[in-house]
Amino acid sequence: MKKIIIITSVIAVLVGSFLTVSSCKVSPMVAMKSGAQIWGENCIRCHNGVSPDAFSDAEWEVTGMHMRLRANLTQEETNKVIEFLQSAN
Amino acid sequence: MKYLLIVLALIATSSIYAQDSLSTIERQALQNYKTLKPGKSKFMIRGFFFTGFDAVDVEGVTDFGFIGGGFNPVLLYKQSDKLFFEAELEGGYGANGFELGLGYANASFILNKYVTVRAGQFLLPFGTFTEKMHPAWINRSVNAPLGFGHDGIAPSSDVGLELRGAFYTGSLKLNYQIYVVNGPQIKDGSIEEGEAGMLKFGYMKDNNKDKTVGGRVGIFPFSNSMMEVGFSAMMGKVGTEGSRYKDVTANLYAVDFSLVKPLSFMKSVIDIKGQYNYSQVSSADFLDVEDTTGGFYSFDNISNGYYAQLTVRPSLIENKFFRNLELVGRYSVLQTPEGALWEQNPTQITVGLNYWLDWRTVIKFGYQTTSGLGNHDLGATITQDMFYFRWAMGF
Ligand code: HEC
Repeated sequence: MKKIIIITSVIAVLVGSFLTVSSCKVSPMVAMKSGAQIWGENCIRCHNGVSPDAFSDAEWEVTGMHMRLRANLTQEETNKVIEFLQSAN
Repeated sequence: MKYLLIVLALIATSSIYAQDSLSTIERQALQNYKTLKPGKSKFMIRGFFFTGFDAVDVEGVTDFGFIGGGFNPVLLYKQSDKLFFEAELEGGYGANGFELGLGYANASFILNKYVTVRAGQFLLPFGTFTEKMHPAWINRSVNAPLGFGHDGIAPSSDVGLELRGAFYTGSLKLNYQIYVVNGPQIKDGSIEEGEAGMLKFGYMKDNNKDKTVGGRVGIFPFSNSMMEVGFSAMMGKVGTEGSRYKDVTANLYAVDFSLVKPLSFMKSVIDIKGQYNYSQVSSADFLDVEDTTGGFYSFDNISNGYYAQLTVRPSLIENKFFRNLELVGRYSVLQTPEGALWEQNPTQITVGLNYWLDWRTVIKFGYQTTSGLGNHDLGATITQDMFYFRWAMGF
C-alpha cells in the first residue's frame, strides 16, 4: 500500500506540476497539426516510417488503435493519423 | 435486306445481352461489397520472423552456424472503438527443439481520452527497450543490450492491471503508465545454484500476498515529439511467503532517452536511444555453494547497467541503394553485485551495417565484442567476439 501511495504521488506531482506550469490546454500549434505531419513526426520514432499502402482502411483502424496504445498517442493524434493513412493508401 | 435484318437482330440481342450481363456484374459487385464490407470488430494476424548466421569466438574457441530463427505471431483484435486485444506468441528453437512461449496477452479498454485500462500479461513499461524496441525488425542491433532478457536486471513482462494515457499541456506532451502486477521473485539458489539473490522476471504464480507496483512517465520537451525522456520505477516484495526471504524487497529504477531527427545538412536521419537500469534488492544471507561446510554469505545486492545506441541512415539522399543503408553503433555495460557468485561486469560494443529492403524488412551485418568478468556460467574474465548476419522481417 505504501508503495502505491509513493508511486501515485510521484506521478501525480510530476503531472500536476506540468499542468500548473502550462495552461493544461493543447496549444493551437499542436491542435492544428495535420495527420500527415503527426505521421511524419511520430511514426519514425521507434521503427521506420510506415508506408500508407501497406494496409487496407480496415487494417489501419486496427494497427492505428494498436499504436495509440503502444506509442502513447493521444486520441486526436490517433484519429488524424488513421484518417491520413486511409486517404493515402 | 434479309441479311440486314439478321445483322440488326443480332446487334439488338447482343446489346440486350450485354446490358443484362452488366447488371449481373453490378449486382454481383454489390453482393460482394456487402459480404466483404468490414464490420465493427476487426482481426489481424501479424508478427515478425528472423533468421541468420553467427560466428562466435570465445577465448580462441570458435563456433559458427545458422540461427534457427525466431517466429513471433502477433494477434490483434479491435472489438470496438473502445475494446482491444493483443497477444504475442514467441516461437524459437531451444534445448528441446521448437518451443513456444507467450510474450504477452492482454485486453485494453479505453475509458476516456486520457485513461486506458489494460489487464492481462503485458510488456512492462520499465524504460522503453522491452516494450517498444524488442521486435527483431525494430531493434537496429543484433540482440538485446546487456541487462535485458535472460538473467537480466530489467523486468520483461508480468501479469496484472495497468492504467495508461497521453495528453498535452500547451505544447508539451506527457504520457504515463502505472501498474500493479504479481512482480519479480528472488532466486533462493535451490534450483540454480550460484544464482541466489538474483531476480526472476516474467509471468509466474505469485509467491506472496504483496503486489508489485510501478510506473513510467514520458516527457516530450519539444512539440514535434522528436525527443522523449522517461522515468520508470517498480517496487515490491520479492521473497516467498513463509520462507527465509519473506521480507526481501526490490526497488528498480530506469531512465530512458530517445531522439530521432532528420538532419538536412547530413541528408540523414539520426536516431539516439538509451536506457539506464538500477536494481536494489534488500540484503539477505544465501547458502554459499562453494563453502563445503554449508555456510551462508551475503553481499550488497545492487546491480546497474545501461546502453546507448546511435543509428545514422542517409534517408534524404537520392540514391536508392545508399538511402536504404544504415550504420548502427551500440555501447552497453552491466554490473551485477560485487561478491555475489553471479557477479559479472561485461562491457559490450556492437557495430553494424543494416540494409532495409522495405520499412519492415532488414538485413543486418555486424560485429559484437563483449568482455569483462563475464557470463556467470563461466565465472571468469572472458572476451567473446561475434560476427553476425540477420534477416528480420515484420509482417
Ligand atoms: C513508441 C514506439 C512506437 C511508435 C512511436 C510507433 N510505433 Fe508502430 N510499432 C511499435 C512496436 C513496438 C511495434 C511491434 C508490436 C509488436 O510486435 O509487439 C509496432 C508495430 C507497428 C505496425 C505493425 C502492425 C502492428 O500493429 O503491430 C504498424 C503498421 C505500425 N507499428 C505503425 C505505426 C504508425 C502508423 C505509427 C505512427 C502513428 C507508429 N507505428 C508509431 C512501436 C511504435
